Amino acid sequence: MKQKSMVSRREFIRNTSIAGGGLIIGLHLLESCVGEVIVNPKFKDPLPLSENVFHQDGATSITDFLQIRSDGSIFVALTKYEMGQGVSTGLSAIIAEELEADWSKINIRYAEPIKDVANITGGSTSILSHWDLMRKAGAFAKSLLMATAAKEWSVYVDQCLAQKSVVQLLGTKKTLGYGQLAEKVVVPENYRELFDKVPLKYRSKFNLIGNRLKSKIIPDIVLGKHPYSIDLKIPGLKYAAIARCPVFMGSLKNYDDSAAINIRGVEKVVPIKGVVIDEATHVRDGIAVIANSTWAAFKGKEALVAEWDLGEKKNINPERFEKECYQLLEKEEGRQILVDEVVHEVTDYDDTISHTYEFPYQHHACMEPLNATAQYHVDSCEIWVGTQSSDKVIGNVEKHFGIPKENVKVHCHPSGGGFGLRYSSAYALEALMVSEAAGGDLVKMCYSREDDIKFDYLNPFELNKHTIQIKEGRIIGWNLKNVMDNWGGLSAWLYYDVPNRSANEIKVKGFTQMGAWRSVMANAEGFSTECFIDEVALALNRDPLEFRLSMLPANKMLTVNHRFKCNLGRLRGALLLAARKANWGVELSSGSGKGIAAYPYMHGNGYGAAVTDVSIKDGTISVDKVTLAIDCGLVVNPDLVIQQMEGGIIWAISAIFYGGTDYKDGSVQRSNFHDNKVLRINEIPEIEVHICENDEPKPWGVGEIAGPVTYASVCNAIYAATGKRIRKLPIDKELKLRENG
Amino acid sequence: MRIHVNDKDYEGDFDPNMPILWVLRDVLGFTGTKYGCGKGLCGACTILVDDQPVRSCSVPVGFAEGKRIHTIEGLENTPYRSLQMAWIKEQVPQCGYCQSGQLMNAVGLLKTNPNPTENEILDAMQGNICRCGTYPRIIKALKTVIENKEA
Ligand code: FES
Ligand code: FES
Repeated sequence: MKQKSMVSRREFIRNTSIAGGGLIIGLHLLESCVGEVIVNPKFKDPLPLSENVFHQDGATSITDFLQIRSDGSIFVALTKYEMGQGVSTGLSAIIAEELEADWSKINIRYAEPIKDVANITGGSTSILSHWDLMRKAGAFAKSLLMATAAKEWSVYVDQCLAQKSVVQLLGTKKTLGYGQLAEKVVVPENYRELFDKVPLKYRSKFNLIGNRLKSKIIPDIVLGKHPYSIDLKIPGLKYAAIARCPVFMGSLKNYDDSAAINIRGVEKVVPIKGVVIDEATHVRDGIAVIANSTWAAFKGKEALVAEWDLGEKKNINPERFEKECYQLLEKEEGRQILVDEVVHEVTDYDDTISHTYEFPYQHHACMEPLNATAQYHVDSCEIWVGTQSSDKVIGNVEKHFGIPKENVKVHCHPSGGGFGLRYSSAYALEALMVSEAAGGDLVKMCYSREDDIKFDYLNPFELNKHTIQIKEGRIIGWNLKNVMDNWGGLSAWLYYDVPNRSANEIKVKGFTQMGAWRSVMANAEGFSTECFIDEVALALNRDPLEFRLSMLPANKMLTVNHRFKCNLGRLRGALLLAARKANWGVELSSGSGKGIAAYPYMHGNGYGAAVTDVSIKDGTISVDKVTLAIDCGLVVNPDLVIQQMEGGIIWAISAIFYGGTDYKDGSVQRSNFHDNKVLRINEIPEIEVHICENDEPKPWGVGEIAGPVTYASVCNAIYAATGKRIRKLPIDKELKLRENG
Repeated sequence: MRIHVNDKDYEGDFDPNMPILWVLRDVLGFTGTKYGCGKGLCGACTILVDDQPVRSCSVPVGFAEGKRIHTIEGLENTPYRSLQMAWIKEQVPQCGYCQSGQLMNAVGLLKTNPNPTENEILDAMQGNICRCGTYPRIIKALKTVIENKEA
């Protein structure tokens, strides 16, 4: 269907296919961000006008990436996954800027995945990776509209001005709206060339980017009609719940469904044979109950009697496992990771300091429990799911069922939180396995909250041991040694400008499945690095801010983990801003303390710093205020940045006090929000966010900056207030203090 | 059995033991009300039953017979739409999943206490979890609604 060589111009740009006419720009979005051309057969149903739509029919988002309709409404197909981080609003703003569109006319279309593009959302890179492409698409559409207006008036294009969805003939009152023009666009022969060469706006001319634009999805949310996958309603839908093997890698021996099948609403009970697709993608052995409501499916699941072979993992004991991890740190060398270009062994030093920090397993507990809807046919299938990676969903299905990629139809929904959990997306495959086992029923498979917690892909348990050598008051060598449960890898961003930085990692296999968790490795590494440097500063009698600054020269790009260039000036700037705004250095009353931290998030090239104020009230730690500064390059929408920082800080404080997990005999013991607590509205600190001024040409990552600096600044503040050093999370608000006397 | 949702009657052979949440979502198609925990712990499923905020996941539909149910879908047509406006103005939601429950719980609060203090707001809203951390904005939005009403 897609034949690049035989593409006609009409399929790239057209102005006849939407009801009532209009202009459609289709882009074949390649990783290189070059506009390409694609053939797509037809549009089905005309889309409803002037509101966000969820696209359920055959047109892919490539063909009608950007629609300008004759009534002036504009539809942008969402090429990234919306999970609450505001990407739909951010991406539309970039298009609207170059298009000179009226922001109020912009709507979102949730679209199908785009073929041949990495449909992956993660690492805080969405805005960054689509920046050039979105701009070009907007600018190209504008150039066509302007050319059309010029032709109408028989003038040169440079006599026309486009503003807020209207083209004006300069020096006159003559105007033509985008809606009117869209119908009349005649596509030039050399459209490809025009697309490639289309001029973009100067940063100083931006009038949407950089402003507090209102979200495009909030109006739907407050009406209760944002299209989460869990809300899907289609004819013939059945509901499924699965009783899964409580221990990872265990298997189903036997089951008795006689009680379950008698529950009102339960229709079928079928066994599911688990599968391991890759390190982060597993489906456990289980028994699926199919019913006419979610509730009946849950009831049926509870009524099942199952016999499991729990396998090896049940023997993993938490205390013993942790102890072994600490022992490995001492016993094993570990795999060496390149950090610095040159590392010499440090032998001539005055002193050495070394501490180990523990970051625990963590649960996601996204508010929308995992779910997916699927229907299996022998050589094709259809899936409705919220996923950070539709590519993985399609790939998993192809691997497991052998259904060719082009016959796997995925509808991408926005989600009630992602935070990394919806990255591997095994639950989509799991739903399809249920459909297959049930003879091709259309099933919405939903995790109960208990399932969502018990079968979570946890953030890995990590130990980070930092060791430095000191000579004449300066750090002359720094090693980070890490033990990590089987997932991902050490980032080893050692960003202070000291010689001989090195890192080693040791992998262990814990009791369950691991996955990405907001800020990923930066959590444990940021927490440990920034608590450690604080300890070193105090050991050397230096002020923690001044000591950090002494190793962050303003004009230096430092190589970290041999592939990222860390801009120390930007990190320094964030640190200075946070310190100034939070009155760093002001004397505090006893029982209160300030802590500081800075961290770069190299995947997204963003930099953050925070100062936290804590106080001790009735023997309990109270986090009173977090002041955070962020340098994320060019800011598309400051309000979204602030929102992400607020959310990230609250997320991290949850992890500090309530994080971790509890497991026994290989099985997670937490089950719901009473024992897997998260921060509530009466527990939040005052939050102040400051965005660094800069002249960066591009927007950088935002979503994962807040966590690392929050853990460390809170723990450093607790030390300042109490003299108690925190080297292990989570902490108990009271207990730890009592222990300390 | 007949139930009354957003000023309309719905007749059906409902299982009286089924929680209102699932009748709303799976039987009647009111999916604005969300499932978050099923145990009364998170508030995502909050609706009003005779003007009282109720965790619909934990109350069987039989209980609502003869009573007035209000869900997020009907909020627009009530004076409490000022909350929805404030939520938009302060840009409260992130993923939005908890927000139907937050809004309905806030309606319940204002119905019984039209001028809550900050502490009363925190107290009333602490049963509603938001994993995205929109709490600071929920407080701000509620305050603007309260202040504007007084003015
Ligand atoms: S779903 Fe009802 S309180 Fe959580
Ligand atoms: S907005 Fe996402 S859980 Fe509240």
